[in-house]
Amino acid sequence: MTMASISLQDWRAWQPGRVSHDDPRLSVAEHPKGASVPAMLRRRLNDMGRAVCDMLAELDPRAECVLLHASRHGDGERTLEMLYALAEDTPLSPARFSLSVHNAMLGVHSIASGNRRSLQAIAASGCEWAALLSEARGYLIDGETQVIAVFSDAPVPARFTEHIAIPAEISAVALRLSCHAGKTIESQPASQPQLAQAHAPQPSDVIDWLLGEAPLVCPTRGLAWSLTS
Amino acid sequence: MANALELELKHLIIDTLELEDVTPDDIDPDEPLFVEGLGLDSIDALELGLALQKTYGIKLEADSEESRRHFANLKSLAALVEARRVD
Repeated sequence: MTMASISLQDWRAWQPGRVSHDDPRLSVAEHPKGASVPAMLRRRLNDMGRAVCDMLAELDPRAECVLLHASRHGDGERTLEMLYALAEDTPLSPARFSLSVHNAMLGVHSIASGNRRSLQAIAASGCEWAALLSEARGYLIDGETQVIAVFSDAPVPARFTEHIAIPAEISAVALRLSCHAGKTIESQPASQPQLAQAHAPQPSDVIDWLLGEAPLVCPTRGLAWSLTS
Repeated sequence: MANALELELKHLIIDTLELEDVTPDDIDPDEPLFVEGLGLDSIDALELGLALQKTYGIKLEADSEESRRHFANLKSLAALVEARRVD
């Protein structure tokens, strides 16, 4: 059985602090504007949320695509710190609580854009990239012509960093995927040297790969991905 | 001192609810705070209820008719704080 191939039609990425690149699809802005979201909704989004919503608006201006969002840690600033507030018997902020769920960014985007399609949030213990492609493939085989896949992550709060092997860099990438036109994303077994160097792929690794600066390898799945025209 | 309290509440609303590009002058004391007027939503109502509890020691029932009346506009909110503040 052959797996349906996935094509990359377009992408956007955000990585503040990255050395500026002349690729217009990459933003290195410290504070994204979130201009695609009305001010009354935007006030609830942090920099990551604003960046993701603006990327989605550019890739799916008619708000008609199924949206997938993967993040290993989600919004740790909200979720993990909230646990400490509970332990200290401090009342929780309802607004922060409402945005602590894993699909909060897509939820705000869906309200702002009017997108009524499926929204799916994924966490996969370091296999987020592979899981995103698996889910996207499922939707495409099921008849969707395009799917948007978002991968984002940010450092966990300082008091949790000792539990993290490789700290996440704040970054996000959004890809419009299809079965048709675009560059083909192919996976193959990773080589031993690749596996020896690899760590769980982060959004910043996907950005490196999209820019042709580094291979993309998932050690847990033993896979490496390539982009071919 | 109704005006001083109203101004204080305007700042409380703007700061607590992180309203962007809204100044105290933009909040009309007679206009609705929720849906119409300022355009706040149900999460804002919960957040504002928490802020009233923290700042003035006022506890409200989340979805009672009475709470709805208190939250109708800035004037009714100021009247509530004036009557029930415990500080």
